[in-house]
Amino acid sequence: MHFVLYTVFGCLSTCYCFIATAVHSEENRCDLLKQQLQSSRVSVQITKTGFHRELLTTVELRPDVPSGLGVLLIHRWPRGVYVDPFQLATLSQQSHWQMSLDSAVDLEAAAHQAEGFVTRVYPAVDGPTIRVTIPFHFRYHQPRYDGETFTTVEIEPPQLLLRTEGCLQLSGSEPHATVDAPCTHSNASTCPWVRLQQQERGPVGVGLPVGDGSLVAPVSAGTLLVTTLCCVSLSTRMWKHRIV
Amino acid sequence: MEALITKLTEKHVLFAASFAIRLALVAYGDYQDRTMVVKYTDIDYHVFTDAARFITEGQSPYNRSTYRYTPLLAWLLAPNVLLSLAFGKILFIVCDVLSGLLIYRILRLRGLNPETARRVCSLWLLNPLPMGVSSRGNAEAVLAALVLGTLLCMEGEGFFSVSKIYFGMLMLFLMYFFCLLAGHLTWAAVLYGLSVHMKIYPITYALPIALSLRTTETTSEKDKTGWRRFIGFTGSFLNRRLLLFTCVAGGVFCSLTALFYYMYGWEFLHETYLYHLIRRDIRHNFSPYFYMLYLTTGSRWSQWLGLAAFLPQLVLLLVASWSFHSDLAFCCFLHTAIFVSFNKVCTSQYFLWYLCLLPLVIPHLSLSLKQGVGLLLLWFAGQGIWLGPAYFLEFEGYNTFLLIWLAGLLFLIINSFILIQIIVHYKPTQTPQRLKAE
Repeated sequence: MHFVLYTVFGCLSTCYCFIATAVHSEENRCDLLKQQLQSSRVSVQITKTGFHRELLTTVELRPDVPSGLGVLLIHRWPRGVYVDPFQLATLSQQSHWQMSLDSAVDLEAAAHQAEGFVTRVYPAVDGPTIRVTIPFHFRYHQPRYDGETFTTVEIEPPQLLLRTEGCLQLSGSEPHATVDAPCTHSNASTCPWVRLQQQERGPVGVGLPVGDGSLVAPVSAGTLLVTTLCCVSLSTRMWKHRIV
Repeated sequence: MEALITKLTEKHVLFAASFAIRLALVAYGDYQDRTMVVKYTDIDYHVFTDAARFITEGQSPYNRSTYRYTPLLAWLLAPNVLLSLAFGKILFIVCDVLSGLLIYRILRLRGLNPETARRVCSLWLLNPLPMGVSSRGNAEAVLAALVLGTLLCMEGEGFFSVSKIYFGMLMLFLMYFFCLLAGHLTWAAVLYGLSVHMKIYPITYALPIALSLRTTETTSEKDKTGWRRFIGFTGSFLNRRLLLFTCVAGGVFCSLTALFYYMYGWEFLHETYLYHLIRRDIRHNFSPYFYMLYLTTGSRWSQWLGLAAFLPQLVLLLVASWSFHSDLAFCCFLHTAIFVSFNKVCTSQYFLWYLCLLPLVIPHLSLSLKQGVGLLLLWFAGQGIWLGPAYFLEFEGYNTFLLIWLAGLLFLIINSFILIQIIVHYKPTQTPQRLKAE
């Protein structure tokens, strides 16, 4: 009789210990995740010059990175730029991140004919600092008619989303929000992610040369004049030297 | 006998050497792609290969964005996916060397001795520009071979050598008998229909071909005046040879179009033809009209300006057709050079379209070597002057639009000057071998 009681008590306490450890472990993980969110920093920098640039995104996490931490960077790109999916596919084979696009990108449209798009980057986490370099290209913009010869394109820093195995949701009213996003770049399933709410840094602006619309009259006149002169000169020579 | 052997050996050395150099470039390109950041292979080659992959999976090649060519090209490159990625490049370099062979045959038919003909066609075979273009994976060599084949067949006697060459590639006995029975003009029409299907610009050769095939006027007809002359003129287009050519070329083109429309729908028509006809690429290129079209995009003037840009091209093509239709190779060269120089969009790939016909023209030019090299350097200088500000715009971000515009106008002036020099110094030959068999 006592033996049975002791056995049941032993089982119950073991079960209680397991559950308590699991809950405690989940609380630990969620605490770690919360701490990561609070002290993570995201910054962007645009390198190279001209129409073909690179966006360097740096994510600074706390040094005590939990294992199994998943990071997702969501970039919202303006209509004035595009990324080349084929270039990215080749690049992702050599680097430690994977990317997915939410829509097809027209590589040749001008800025006023194109739409903005969203990319999701899943970098591998192997340290507290994560660096992702994404090559992008500027589209041709419409000329300006106010005498200015440059236009500014602004690129916002990405949203940082974190996820960890074993922590399904955070409680409390900390500055974060839970969103659903694909778990990996293959879009097979959706997982809950936690998003860092506050963005400390604003968008990064880049100047891009555009045509000077105020010169449309002299440019058109000059072009038509030169082409007409060349046409007349060639025609007269051809007619004069024709083979009969 | 010994002299003959030497001659044959030399000829074979030239063609073998040019093929070997191109093959070495393809091998080097493969090495560079694997080891360096800057790739040797052109982006177009990847577009063709991706489209060929879609075809092997039973889908439309137009699923690959920026694939704007005939489905025939993707079908031809299916072995890229099934056998080896280098297949397409090998095909292009074979077509390149084949173009050299066709140039040699045409020059021989026009009365040149073998040694001079070999020297002239080495301008194409040992020229780094077509070597580079084909080994990088551009398909221009296929079209050059088709256009040169058309010209060779139009010359008449080249039909046997052409049938051996093309037929050696096709290996279909029925087609061999067909071409034996059909004659050179039919082959010319088949190749012409195929070239127009691959790229639109050979359509401009239709007028000089029609003018050269029509019945020539007799002296009594020349005395007619007014509307009788006009009726006589239009009537001269209705003869058996021209009708045969039109029917065969039109038939080949229409049946290919119908076949691919049935397979791939509207997308085929749009990407292969309409896009090139209505395209307004406002990004910087060699065309003199580039800046004008960029500044007027979307405005109500853009349609009229587009039309105004088309008029010089049209006028020049009409004058060139009428003035030189009796010498078809020279006429086609002028047509292509004018078309490219006065086009609304002009990239360096287009230059190959007339460079493959230049060796046919060179033996008849009375320019000295110094003058010829001077014109060539002037042509390169014109490109260099454009490439400088274009580099600074695209890769350094400076606003050099005005400089690019002026460089584009200068390049047009240089091209016109070079063409005028060629026209003024061209001496057409009246060779007894140029028989147009009925």
